[in-house]
Amino acid sequence: MVEPMDDFERELREQLQVRRVPEGFADRVMARIPAPRPSRWFWQPVWRWAVVAAVVAAMVAGGLEREHERRIEGERAREQVLLALRITGSTLREVQQKVNAGGDEQNSDSAAGAGAR
Amino acid sequence: MERHQARVFSIAFRILGESCAAEEVAQDVFLELYRSLARLESDEHVKAWLRRVACHRATDALRRRAVRADMAAEEFKDGVSVVPVVRSDSPLMNRVEQLLLTLPPAQRSVLLLRYQEDLEPEDIAIETGMPLATVRSHLQRGLKLLREKAQRTLKEYSRG
Repeated sequence: MVEPMDDFERELREQLQVRRVPEGFADRVMARIPAPRPSRWFWQPVWRWAVVAAVVAAMVAGGLEREHERRIEGERAREQVLLALRITGSTLREVQQKVNAGGDEQNSDSAAGAGAR
Repeated sequence: MERHQARVFSIAFRILGESCAAEEVAQDVFLELYRSLARLESDEHVKAWLRRVACHRATDALRRRAVRADMAAEEFKDGVSVVPVVRSDSPLMNRVEQLLLTLPPAQRSVLLLRYQEDLEPEDIAIETGMPLATVRSHLQRGLKLLREKAQRTLKEYSRG
């Protein structure tokens, strides 16, 4: 409901028109508005994806490196096993030769003994 | 900002009675508007928001100036008009503003919203969060006091 105004109220309204703002008011307000802060480099899309790609690449490279080391260790272990087998094989051959040589001597001794008898 | 700055400054100035303090409050209000702009949907919404925030910030600033508020209350009690140094658009406007400043802050804000902003009591109640009866009471008492003071100090108003 709109309430009627008397002369005094009308005069009051007339005198309470908006004032002029001080000179340069808008400029002073604008000066206080913080300049848009450049977003941190990390959050710019190109850099963000570059960082993500670098991290993934590092993880893949780390995995490959571990795989490579495992393969080298496997090779080394295989060579050691082969070496051990070779050593074992040659040792067995020597032992066998010695055994065979001992047997031959025994046979020749017993044959000689039987001939003498 | 160009469209609303005079209104915001006028509210702050007429509540505070001091140009520097009013400008500081008005600047703060526009900075707050800058931060809240995304939430405001229309020009009417912006206008109402500015009016409300300007009133609140100016009243807060007035409360902080406790010494000055005490002085104003004393002068109000004694019926002596406060004569702050203000730069006015017209001498009569200046006198009306000086008389307004002698009123208690709540009456001053309500009278400003009624006669500067041309709001109806119902709208003032909504904007300030005061009960409608309180708004009407502030309006009646404020107007009565202002009329008495005007009759004493301003010949221009003696016909009221």
